Amino acid sequence: MNDSTKNVATPPPVPKKKLQMAVYWGAACGGCCVSVLDVHEALFLVLEHADLVFWPIALDTKYKDVEAMPDKSIDLTLFNGAIRNSENEHIAKLLRQKSKVLVAYGSCAHMGGIPGLANFSTKEKLFQRVYKDTESTVNPDNIRPQTSYTVPEGELTLPVFYNDVKPLDKVVDVDYYIPGCPPQTERLVDVFKLIVTGATLPPAGSVVGVFDKGQCDCCKRTKSDNKKIKKFYRPWQIQDDGETCLLEQGIICMGPATRGGCGARCIDANMPCRGCYGPPPDVADPGAKMMSAIGTMIDSDDPMEIQEIVKGVVDPGGTFYRFSLPSALLRRTVQ
Amino acid sequence: MNPQRIGVYVCWCGSNIAKIVDVEKVARVMARIPGVEVSREYKYMCSDPGQELIMKDIKELGLDRVVVASCSPRMHEPTFRKTLKLAGLNPYMLEMANIREHVSWVHENQELATAKAINLTRAAVHRVMVHAPLVQHEVPVNRATMVLGGGITGMTAALRIAGQGRKVYLVERSDELGGRAIGVGRAGPHMNSVAALLDNLTTRVNDSAYIDVLTGTVVGEVSGFVGNFLVRLANGTRELTVGAIVVATGTQPFDAKKLHRSGYGRFPNVVTSTQFEEMAASGRFTTESGKAPRRVAIIHCVGSRDSETHSYCSRTCCMDALRFSNILRDALPDAAIYQAYSDMRAFGRDAEEFYARTAERDVTFLLFDKLLPPTVSEAPAGDPYPLLVTMDEIATGIAIEVPADLVVLMVAREACSDAKDVAKLVSISVDKDGFFIEKHPKLDPAATTTDGIYIAGSCQGPKDIPDCMSQAGATAARVLAAITMGKVKVPATTATVNEDLCVGCQTCISVCPYGAVIYLDKHRVSRVEEVICKGCGTCAAACPAGTISPRHFTDNQVLQQLEGLLAAEEG
Repeated sequence: MNDSTKNVATPPPVPKKKLQMAVYWGAACGGCCVSVLDVHEALFLVLEHADLVFWPIALDTKYKDVEAMPDKSIDLTLFNGAIRNSENEHIAKLLRQKSKVLVAYGSCAHMGGIPGLANFSTKEKLFQRVYKDTESTVNPDNIRPQTSYTVPEGELTLPVFYNDVKPLDKVVDVDYYIPGCPPQTERLVDVFKLIVTGATLPPAGSVVGVFDKGQCDCCKRTKSDNKKIKKFYRPWQIQDDGETCLLEQGIICMGPATRGGCGARCIDANMPCRGCYGPPPDVADPGAKMMSAIGTMIDSDDPMEIQEIVKGVVDPGGTFYRFSLPSALLRRTVQ
Repeated sequence: MNPQRIGVYVCWCGSNIAKIVDVEKVARVMARIPGVEVSREYKYMCSDPGQELIMKDIKELGLDRVVVASCSPRMHEPTFRKTLKLAGLNPYMLEMANIREHVSWVHENQELATAKAINLTRAAVHRVMVHAPLVQHEVPVNRATMVLGGGITGMTAALRIAGQGRKVYLVERSDELGGRAIGVGRAGPHMNSVAALLDNLTTRVNDSAYIDVLTGTVVGEVSGFVGNFLVRLANGTRELTVGAIVVATGTQPFDAKKLHRSGYGRFPNVVTSTQFEEMAASGRFTTESGKAPRRVAIIHCVGSRDSETHSYCSRTCCMDALRFSNILRDALPDAAIYQAYSDMRAFGRDAEEFYARTAERDVTFLLFDKLLPPTVSEAPAGDPYPLLVTMDEIATGIAIEVPADLVVLMVAREACSDAKDVAKLVSISVDKDGFFIEKHPKLDPAATTTDGIYIAGSCQGPKDIPDCMSQAGATAARVLAAITMGKVKVPATTATVNEDLCVGCQTCISVCPYGAVIYLDKHRVSRVEEVICKGCGTCAAACPAGTISPRHFTDNQVLQQLEGLLAAEEG
């Protein structure tokens, strides 16, 4: 035994600096934040490695607290929700300034998402509907939201409601995209593990937590070149045989124009893919791609019959651009 | 330094472009776009000095891409691609802006025309920035030819090709050669014997050491591509390998029963022109009662030039009708002969004279408006003639009834009922009437848009015998030129599948008009057979996953072109 070694003081373990992490919602439904909560017991893993410094759904951190943080002091921000108003844009810019890595989390931040379908309308039409026309509205004085209003106590303000809904990357630089409505929690955990283990991150701008190939690659249904559609069906209108490609049965499935990675849960539950995981690489406009594909499947040469068949596509805008309108080439309707 | 070195060349086309477009301004504006190394205008870019100017710049300035703003690329794209190639650049690093057909020839306002020319040229500059070099491959050619259809056209084409010592398989589905000409006695205007012509052709075909006659034979399947087709015959295991296919499948007569007003099928004394040929061949002209007819009415345009049936002119019936009148007059000197017509199409050498001679032989010509064709009905009981032809005679302006005991309907010639199947078999297109479509009506009338597939004769549109034989000769020359070369170039602008991203949905398979996209079961991906692909882009448009891209027309290239077109800056 060498006594001399015994008395050397062992340096106390230095606690590893935890990842500083933020989660924020823009124009969103809350589902993305819930998908973060859905890590279940992996929350311990997250908390072991990360301090959540800002998360409005769970913590009472104020905007002024974020403003007080040094620039680039947040290691990872998951920004979900689209940019619908000036508050969304302001916080997006603030978090960009404070964050090393900014992730567009979920379909709305990635592509505009469901709120983005409002780009088929205008601010004025939306206000008209919400503050006047709905069956439950009683607003005889036609009161509309004001961005500022003076009361005896001082000035009250509201964010400016924009005419256009935008995805996150239209207002700030985005490092990564994790698509989905909401993203599959397992994919988030995968990405989180990569970050905490210090793995080499993919190039900025990458879509992560996904496969490059489309949904059909994971879909177990049988596929053939017999894609001839005489009539479109919504899922409840037809007895699906449970085996054949849904498109071949006349059910519009966005699967071929949508990235895999979600685990094909909708398709496994016999529901068509709605496209929340966004387009595969090289597709600028998944709605246009899918409409073009559907066009080739319509089984008729007769213009009148084709028109009748096409009428079977209920709400084509909402079907083909359900999640992607603001980021697609189409972007919005002409005003 | 910008990695791209683009040369822009704006052509005056003499005064064709320069009189409307300020070509100097176009060149000046282009010079300001980053990446444009040199921008010039010149009187005739396509001339030798014009092309030399481009080649000199490529060599001296190290240009790697070229934009020529001039006429339609249909006109001079091959010219300038060759220019680039001669100067050592890949020919696909060229983009043309059409500022003649699309600008100077169709606009009068100089200012607006110049602005449009600038936009189009800027679009070309933006596009050429994302061009990629492409390679054109060559494939060897099988020197045998299959001719589909053993009528006058098919036999003539076969003889011409065999005459050069090349193998021909002449495939005819009926049991004898001759096609629709069988049974036709003579042909106007010279009244030559068709039977003698057929006999001559058939004998020579059967005697030829190079022609393999396959009558009673139907083609089951055609696969492969130009120079290398594999033909499977339906009636056996035999397979033919050929380099070219000539389609000469002819026409069929219109079924007059489809026109109630014609009376055909309802009144026994109403016959078609085909039935009349049989009467003429037998030399016995009789009505149902067995007597010689005393009043014969010949009605033109039954199923032709008619909005209800076929809108086109069948082209041969007017001459046939005149010929029938002569035959009738020879056989029945005392019979009354009427011709109800709506326009006499007596075109070509000696045809008008034939018409005049026929008119002198006591034939009564009655003119109708093609919108109001004659109606054939049963005469009231007691009338001396069983039929009445009712029409508005527009030369006299009188509504008339022509009693007749024989009515001859000059029925249209229409595309064969299975023309679409034949078209599908060899991957060519049909028009709205079912006739096969040539590659270009003037520049390439014997070829089709599918390389190695040629058409001849009436299957492309009704023709008379001399025209059929001329086109058969033209087609044979086209085939011989292709097989003599021994190899063919396949286009470089084909579609390509990114097999790493293909999901195997198979949307692309059935949309290809050329059968060029195949599905590889083992790998669960689609693949484009590049030698068959024509670069039409249909599969790329259909691909929902964005994994098929047409080379030289990629999404990015088209979007860049749009960016350039819509760019706001102006000069």
